[in-house]
Amino acid sequence: MSAQTETPNSRTIRIDPVTRIEGHAKVFVNLAEDGSLDNAGLVVNELRGFEKILVGMEANRMPHITARICGVCPTAHHIAASNALDHACGVVAPPAAMLLRELMYMGHIIHSHALSLFVLQGPDLVLGLDADPAIRNVVGIVQANPEVAKKALRIRTVGQRLNEIVGGRGTHPVTSVAGGITFVLDSEKRAMLQSLVDEGKQLARELAPVVKQLVVSMLEKHPAMLTDWVAPSWSVGTVLDNRVSLIQGNLRAVDENGSTQVEFPVQDYDKYMVESVVDFSYMKRVSFKKDGLLHDYRVGPLARINAMQQFNTEWANREMEEMLSLGGYPCHITLFQAYAKLVEMIWAIERADDILRDPAVNGETRVPVKFKGGRGVGHSEAPRGTLIHDYEIDEDGIVRAANLIVATQQNYAIINRSIEHAATSHVIGKPDDQALLNAVEFSIRCYDPCLSCATHAVGAMPMEISINRGGRTVKTIRR
Amino acid sequence: MSAELVTINTEWLSDCSGCHIAIVDLHEKILSVLESVKIQRCPVLTDVKDYPPAKIGLVSGAIRNEHDRHAAIEMRKSCDLIIAWGSCAVFGGPAGAGNVHTREEIADAVYLQNKTTSTSSLPSREISPLEVSVTPIDKVIEVDLYLAGCPPHPTYIFDALVSLLEGRQPKATKESVCAKCKRQMKKSDLDTIKQHTDGIPDPELCFLSQGYICMGSATIDRCLSPCPTNGIPCTGCAGATMQILSEPNRDIRTEIAERMARLTKIPREDIIKEIEKSSKSHYSYTMASSMISEKPTFLINKWIHEANEDYEAAHG
Repeated sequence: MSAQTETPNSRTIRIDPVTRIEGHAKVFVNLAEDGSLDNAGLVVNELRGFEKILVGMEANRMPHITARICGVCPTAHHIAASNALDHACGVVAPPAAMLLRELMYMGHIIHSHALSLFVLQGPDLVLGLDADPAIRNVVGIVQANPEVAKKALRIRTVGQRLNEIVGGRGTHPVTSVAGGITFVLDSEKRAMLQSLVDEGKQLARELAPVVKQLVVSMLEKHPAMLTDWVAPSWSVGTVLDNRVSLIQGNLRAVDENGSTQVEFPVQDYDKYMVESVVDFSYMKRVSFKKDGLLHDYRVGPLARINAMQQFNTEWANREMEEMLSLGGYPCHITLFQAYAKLVEMIWAIERADDILRDPAVNGETRVPVKFKGGRGVGHSEAPRGTLIHDYEIDEDGIVRAANLIVATQQNYAIINRSIEHAATSHVIGKPDDQALLNAVEFSIRCYDPCLSCATHAVGAMPMEISINRGGRTVKTIRR
Repeated sequence: MSAELVTINTEWLSDCSGCHIAIVDLHEKILSVLESVKIQRCPVLTDVKDYPPAKIGLVSGAIRNEHDRHAAIEMRKSCDLIIAWGSCAVFGGPAGAGNVHTREEIADAVYLQNKTTSTSSLPSREISPLEVSVTPIDKVIEVDLYLAGCPPHPTYIFDALVSLLEGRQPKATKESVCAKCKRQMKKSDLDTIKQHTDGIPDPELCFLSQGYICMGSATIDRCLSPCPTNGIPCTGCAGATMQILSEPNRDIRTEIAERMARLTKIPREDIIKEIEKSSKSHYSYTMASSMISEKPTFLINKWIHEANEDYEAAHG
C-alpha cells in the first residue's frame, strides 16, 4: 500500500490505539463515497532515533544498549549486535559460544512465541473476536481455562528462564559480547537448563493440540480468514545447511510461488533491501529489490518456513508438514503466522535439548578481539523476522554510524494489506460493531508487530474510530 | 487482604516495553498478584483503551512526543498514586540519549541521510510531533514513587505492588550494584585503563581492580547485579545512586574515579577524562534527568564535542 492523501467525500475509520501489540499505533481505513475500501494503514506514533543515539557510543556496548530497542525481543538485538561486532573485529566466536548464543536464543523464541500466542493473540483465539473487551485479555483466559492458561504462562517462563540463565538476564540479556560469551557453562547451570527443557517438552506436547484447535476453530468461525485473508508476497528467511536457521547463515528470498530468487550473506543486505518513508507513520517500510524491480515481502515465522521447509529436528518437521497440508505451500494465510509460531516453539525446545546434549557446548567461549576500523554487519532472525544491525566502527572502538532494519518494517506492506482484508470482510458495510473493529486489530496481531523495534521506539493509545466524510468527522466510536 | 480489588492502570510512553514484560516475568507470582488487583488499562495485556479511575498507575517510558505528554497527564488525572516505572520514566533512559541531538538531526539520520532509505521526505501526517527534548515523566506530572531499573527486576516490582496493596512503604534499598556483586576488590599496581575489549577479564576480581571501567559503584541496585555476576561490567542502566543524586558536586564519573583510583595506580584524572571521552556511553541512561544534567560539573555536550574534535583531528 502506498501512502495516499484522503480524497474528499471519503470516510475514514480509525482505531486508536491498537492494543496487545508492542507499540504505539493507530489504524485508519479510508472509504470511498460509495462505501468501498479506498486504502488502509497502520500509523506508528513513536520515534526514538537509535540510529543517531548509537553514534559516538562504545561499540562494545552495542549488544547491551540495542537490547533496549525492544523489551519483547531484546535477545534478537543482543545477538544481532554481537554478530555485527564479531564481523567488525574479523573473528568467529568459538563453537561453544555460538551454541550458547543459540541456546539463549531458543529460550528467547519460546518466550516470545508463547507470549504472542497466549497473551497477545490468545484472548482473540480463546475468547473470540466478539468477546467483551473488558474480559478479552490474559486474565479472561485464566478465568475461562485456568489449566491451559497456567501451562501457557509456564512455557513462556521456561523460555524466559533459559534465556535468563544463559543470558544473565531475561529482559535485556548481557552475556553475549564481541568474540563470544562471557562465561563457561558449568554442570550446575547445565542441569538447571536441562530440567527446564524437559519441562518445556512436556508442556509443548500438551499445548500443541490446544493451539492447533484454536487456529482451526478460528477458521471455522471466520471463513474469510481462510479465503480472503491471504497476502501472497515474497518471503525472506535465514538458511544454514539447507535448514531454517536463526542466528547464522545466509538470507534467502523466495517469490510468492516459493521459488528461490536470491540467496546472499547478510553483509549484502543493502543491495536488496530498500527502505522508504511513509508519510503517515514514523515507521519506514522496506521493499526487496531484484533486477531493478521492488517487491513487497514478509519476514517472520511463516516467511522462514516459506523460505526453507526443513528444520534440524524431527518433531518440528512433522508439525510443519501438518501445517503445510492444511495451509498449502507457500503459505500466505495471515492466521497461519500463529501456526508457524507453534512449529518454531516446538523446534526451539527440541533444538535447546540437542544443544545441551552436545559436548561442544562445554568448551571455551571467548576469544580476544580488536576493532580494526571498518564495517560490522550482523543479523538474527528475531521472533518476528529478519533483524539487521550495520555499524561503522572506528579503530578506537567507537560507533561512527549505525543502520538498523527490523522485522516489522519488512512486514509493513503486508500488514497494511491484511488490514485491508480484515476491513473488507469484517468492517465495511457491517454495523459499526466493536467486535468487527477488533477483527482489524486481530489481523495486525497476527504479525505481532513490534513497534518498539520498528521505529526503534514504543507505546500505545486509546482506540478511537472516526468516520469522516468530505473531510468532516461525522461519527466517532471509542473504546 | 480485602476482597475489594485494587485497580491498576499502566501506560507506556517512549520506551521498549521491557518494563511491561518484567510484570509478566513475575511468572507464577503474577497469579497471586492478580488475586488482589484488577488490571484495567494495560496496553500490552488488555483492550481497555481509555483511562478508568484507578488506585495505582504505573507509567513506563520517557516523554518524547506530544502523545507521551498527553498520556502522562491522563494517567495522573485517573490514578491516585503514580509510580515512575523503569529508568526511562525516572531518568529519561536510552531515548534520553537523543538529547545531545536536535529533533532535526535525529529525523535527518533516520529518514534523509540513511544509507538504505531511497526516499527524501519526512513523515508528515497522523503522527505526533517530537518535543524539543526528552524528559523524565516528573517534568510533566507529579510522581509519588520512583522505581528505576532497566527493567526493574521483577522482585522489586513485586515488592512495590505487594507493599502498596498492604499499605506499607516499598523497600526501595539505597544500595549500589556493588552490594550484590561477589567479585573481590583487590588493590593492584595497574596504571592504565583497559578497554572492555582488552583481553578477557578475570571472573573473580572486581572489574575496577582489573582496570576496566565498571559503573556498579555509581549505579543503584534495581537488578540484583546480574552483569558483574555474569562477566560483564555494569553499564549503569538503573541510573545513579542516591548519594550521587542528592549531592550536587558528586557525579557518576567522579564516584567511579575515586573508587578506581583507590584500588589501582591509575590517576583519578585519567579515569575522569576517559569517562568524559565516551560520555555518551556512560550517561546513556541518565543524561535526560535534570538531577544529572544540571550538576555544575556535567558538560556532556562539551565532552562529546571535544571527543569529536579529537577524532576529526586524527582522521583529517
